[in-house]
Amino acid sequence: MTETTTRPIEPSEEKSEDGPPALPECGDSIDSTIFEQILEMDDEEEREFSRSIVYGFFEQAVATFKKMDDGLASGDLSQLSSLGHFLKGSSATLGLTKVKDSCEKIQHYGAKKDDTGTRDEPSDDVCLRRIRDALALVREEYNEVEKVLKRFYDSQPQPSQN
Amino acid sequence: MLEDPAYEQIVRWGDNGDSFVVLENEKFTKAILPKHFKHSNFASFVRQLNKYDFHKVRQNNEENGQSPYGPGAWEFKHPEFQINNKDSLDNIRRKAPASRKPPPVSEEAIQIQQMDLVNVQLNATQQQLQVLQDRYNDLSSHNSAMLQELISVHKRLLNHESVMHQVMAFLSSVDTQIRDQRRHSRVNGTHIFDQSHSHDASAAGMSPQNFSPSDDRQASPLQHAQKLLEDSFTAEEHLEQINELYRQMNGAVSSPPSEQGGRSGVVPMSQAVQPRSTTATNSTIYPRMNGEYQESVYPAGHTNGIDPTTYAEQYPSIPFPIPTTGDLETADSRRQYPTEGRKKSVAVDPGWVRAPQILLVEDDPTCRRIGGKFLYSFKCAIDTAFDGLEAVDKINGGSKYDLILMDIIMPNLDGVSACRTIRNYDSTPIIAMTSNIRNDDINMYFHNGMNDVLPKPFTKEGLLNLLEKHLGHLKEQKTATQTKSPAGSWHSPNQLAGVSPPGAPLADESYVNTMRGHPPHTIDGYPHRRTASEMSGADETVSETSKRQRVYAQPYGNAVVGPMRVPAG
Repeated sequence: MTETTTRPIEPSEEKSEDGPPALPECGDSIDSTIFEQILEMDDEEEREFSRSIVYGFFEQAVATFKKMDDGLASGDLSQLSSLGHFLKGSSATLGLTKVKDSCEKIQHYGAKKDDTGTRDEPSDDVCLRRIRDALALVREEYNEVEKVLKRFYDSQPQPSQN
Repeated sequence: MLEDPAYEQIVRWGDNGDSFVVLENEKFTKAILPKHFKHSNFASFVRQLNKYDFHKVRQNNEENGQSPYGPGAWEFKHPEFQINNKDSLDNIRRKAPASRKPPPVSEEAIQIQQMDLVNVQLNATQQQLQVLQDRYNDLSSHNSAMLQELISVHKRLLNHESVMHQVMAFLSSVDTQIRDQRRHSRVNGTHIFDQSHSHDASAAGMSPQNFSPSDDRQASPLQHAQKLLEDSFTAEEHLEQINELYRQMNGAVSSPPSEQGGRSGVVPMSQAVQPRSTTATNSTIYPRMNGEYQESVYPAGHTNGIDPTTYAEQYPSIPFPIPTTGDLETADSRRQYPTEGRKKSVAVDPGWVRAPQILLVEDDPTCRRIGGKFLYSFKCAIDTAFDGLEAVDKINGGSKYDLILMDIIMPNLDGVSACRTIRNYDSTPIIAMTSNIRNDDINMYFHNGMNDVLPKPFTKEGLLNLLEKHLGHLKEQKTATQTKSPAGSWHSPNQLAGVSPPGAPLADESYVNTMRGHPPHTIDGYPHRRTASEMSGADETVSETSKRQRVYAQPYGNAVVGPMRVPAG
């Protein structure tokens, strides 16, 4: 029977196989292990499935940022918290680590906690200010991964769209 | 004053010296009162007298109704007011009206306050009562709904049970038939014969311990019914195996079955080569499944049966879901089956007896799609719900699932509440899918009826492990082979759940296994058991394996019991 190796294989090594093409360098913005398993779900060369997921996430993220702006304007902390949680879930699923972490902070701030979610922060103003900062940051982080991912998908064979 | 003769006509001592008499009201008021008081009001003077306990001597006490001092005269008396006894005057005191009056006033105020207080309390109590009443109404309606549900479930179970009995009866009749056939063919196929030998040996060693534990757990009718169901599932697996065996034997002896070739595309020759490792894995995987079964599947419905502490040791590994396992395996699979490497993702087949019905409850479209895709790749039938409310509705609507994957934080109705609600009338295993995986969170999930936790972001491996853990009863034995593949899988951090390396190996090996893995099992009706050392990459896995067996001891004991089945058809 085909012998399997017991040697641990690094994700990067895996990429060099005939597996998913290596993602562009993106440091710790993207957890390649998680993202790769989504790529694995793609059929053949056309990355239709993951592409639609990722682009769906783009739309979702942009819409969520917009809602966060609204929430900041109206000072609706609980709304901001749930938006943070919402985007945290999907970014985590895609392995977008940085975006996920920032969303988590927004979730905590919105819940009137500190950034780790362990201590209470009684001041609404402080929370809102922190969210404003975190939102600016997460937008940057998002733009970064969006660029990387779009470049990645542009480099892939285009799907026969359907 | 009273003795002043100048006033004799106006005011003087009474005749008995024990009273004084005001003879002329008007003069007294105008001439005398202003000298001694700040006012010149006779009525006030009288009032003052009254306060000092002087009392007017009533006129009608007199016989003729006339005052001895003349009409219009006022006579006042006081016990201590006597003409020759000035000492006793000290005893004439104001009656402390001031002190007497205030008390009544403050008492009243206190009473009012008390009344207010009581009223407030009464209101509060009434409100509480109202709340309780509402709650009671809710609960009672809930309860009746639960009862109905319970009754219908009970009926369904009874039906299942009777069906199962019939199936079992049929199967055992078929079994005897098959045994005859097998015995017959064993003589013909040499390698099969060998396998059966080794199989016999290992079966003898392994099976007893498998049986005994499984016999222990028939406490309630529900469990009994579930066991019956499980029996039937496993029985089906055996049927499947027997079918394969049958075909295989036919292939070895006479002509290769066309169905087999078409289905898997694997050449029968390989069968002789691989049975060992295949069966080896079986031995390790079975125990695990059973153990899990006891822990998680049966407790379903008896939520109190879930002991969070049993999961405690798993917690540490939860946060690290996607270890290298996946990488290892997928990488391996790519190497081994380059051409199928891509397809694998779509074609992973954990080998369900039937497609498990999974309800995916998730409000986030990204998670939902990816989760759904993973499940799809595991050959599961998927239904989705946007939030807890929809999930509850689906369950209420009579939808039956083998497993529910439940997000925790969702709009409308969160996962924990949904779980608690569903638990009122349904025991489907519910897995919390969440990134909130602190210990107290997890304990809370378990306390509310969740059966397990799948940390987000979940991975394919994590998900598949979970499915196999909770849906072991839907699996065919052949799935076992998956475990054997990359030795690396044994090092997986999420060992707990960890069974099977999803991914390509499955697809490829599962068919292999379909053909060669089964024959041995079926021959004696026992799965072929081997020690871990026989597995590929066995050396370092031995300890792992034994651990597993300990943890998940005892599986398919009953499954193994009755292998019987007829060639499909």
